[in-house]
Amino acid sequence: MLQTGKSASVRRRGPLEQWTERHLRYLMLAPTVLILLALTIFPSVYMFYAAVHRISPNPDLPWEFVGIGNFARLISDPQFHVALRNTAVFTIVAVTLEFLLGLGLALLLDRFIRRLSFLKTVLMIPMMLPPIAVAITWKLIYEPQFGVLNEVMFLLGLPVQAWAGDVNLAMFSIIVADVWQWTPFIFLLMLAGLASLPVEPYEAAALDGASSWRQFWDLTLPFLKPVIAIALLLRVMDALRLFDLVFILTGGGPADRTKVLSLYIYQVAYRFADPGYAAAMSLFVLFVTIVLSTWFMKRMRLAE
Amino acid sequence: MATIRTRSRTREMLLRLSAYLAILVALILTLFPVYWIAANSFKFDIDIFAVPPEWVPRNPTLKHYDEAFVQRPFLRYALNSFLVAIGTTVISVTFGTMAGYALARFSYPWQWRKQISFWILSTRMMPPIVSIIPLYLFFNYFDMLNTKSALVIAYTAFNLPFATWMMKSYFQDLPVELEEAAIVDGDTRWGAFLHVALPLARPGLAATAIFCLIISWNEFLLSLVITLTEQSQTLPIGIAGRVTQYSTYWGEISAAGFMACVPIVIFAFVVQKHLVRGLSLGAVKG
Repeated sequence: MLQTGKSASVRRRGPLEQWTERHLRYLMLAPTVLILLALTIFPSVYMFYAAVHRISPNPDLPWEFVGIGNFARLISDPQFHVALRNTAVFTIVAVTLEFLLGLGLALLLDRFIRRLSFLKTVLMIPMMLPPIAVAITWKLIYEPQFGVLNEVMFLLGLPVQAWAGDVNLAMFSIIVADVWQWTPFIFLLMLAGLASLPVEPYEAAALDGASSWRQFWDLTLPFLKPVIAIALLLRVMDALRLFDLVFILTGGGPADRTKVLSLYIYQVAYRFADPGYAAAMSLFVLFVTIVLSTWFMKRMRLAE
Repeated sequence: MATIRTRSRTREMLLRLSAYLAILVALILTLFPVYWIAANSFKFDIDIFAVPPEWVPRNPTLKHYDEAFVQRPFLRYALNSFLVAIGTTVISVTFGTMAGYALARFSYPWQWRKQISFWILSTRMMPPIVSIIPLYLFFNYFDMLNTKSALVIAYTAFNLPFATWMMKSYFQDLPVELEEAAIVDGDTRWGAFLHVALPLARPGLAATAIFCLIISWNEFLLSLVITLTEQSQTLPIGIAGRVTQYSTYWGEISAAGFMACVPIVIFAFVVQKHLVRGLSLGAVKG
């Protein structure tokens, strides 16, 4: 660690400069800490406050204190249970698929086409596009009458479907669009992880005649574990807050099959004008996210 | 030995072939949707609804671009998106770089460094829907709904922690000796940061800025809640507004959607080196 302000060759400096120099470690950190305090602590506290009140859509009416009333509603609200289940299904299925495809693709590219960084960038395009543009694109593809997916189904002799409008396929349609957008993210992280693998253990393994399957299982996977952990963590966090895709593709329907937590919270807050109850639900989501991520980071020793 | 080698060579060939095939399929699946929205943006409405679909626009037209950008205010939305993204990026990168540097280089009493690092990272984990209600009530109270400044403030909440962490890992990677040498030569601590560390960290700065720009340009939910007027709405909201319950203006939103993608994709190719490095650094190192 560096010593501050005690260098032998300190030259004529004004008192302000000396003061700045002495407290630099705090001064440099202060803006970020203050901004984040204001933008996260304040909303959190305010949300606690909102969550124990019944807030009328009419801004002139006072908030009515309801205690844990809003939280009690969570337990008996069937729509909330549906949203919870949909979010869980989406998160598990989408992240699993993204992980398997991303890792597979990274292994292929790493082994067979190492040099083509151009290809890498092309494969990364989906994750950089605005989710709203992705949602529109897939809406166009899924369109039951003139959508291109049904044309492909027809050409393959398969039955055409209503996709995002079909009760049984709606969630699947959302998952496919999400997998399309976010597999590249996993792919890229895995590629970066693979690029930093040490060579020696593989040479030793090859000498021992280990099959490539064994090498993958005993060397590659363990080496990649920290990267995999981060990638999954980030994707799960994002999946839990899925919004844009459902908002555009299905609006939560049909029959609430794609109603996820953030969409339901949004509807409660702005369509049903019940911010108090929405705040209680948000707190629940925040709680789940914090528990999940803290547990995960502690376990993986990530925050060091 | 020889037989084994030939067998493994044919196997290797087969493997290679199927790998290329798989990559080709991945490329087609990646690019087709982007191509499709571009293709549709150049078709007349009647051709968009054609069954079977027109794989290549037969009568290309710029009609929908005219609709979106001349007759409707998509240019205004794009400008708003751009201004908000720039504002957010400047604030986040400036303060994030200073904080990242401080966390990477200084020592603090009472384990502050670890606690603060963790806390900053944890704010990034907060789902936007969680902070939206308080932010909405807050902006409402201060009469800031429908302003671009409100968006910049809201986006900063998400980009600042990210920038801090990216820059922290970047500075940790730089050798500290150069700064020490500068200080021995009589530079101040701040001067060493400004004249030595900062120029060395330029690739990290670039990567961080790129990500802040992309995240802000793409953001949807916060903007949906905070802005309702044309003067303040961003491009994603403008696009979503044309998907109504009764009809969807396919040509127009295809044109606008494609135009929302173009700057990002061009940008990505220009800065691809930083992008890959930035992502792997920021994410892999947490």
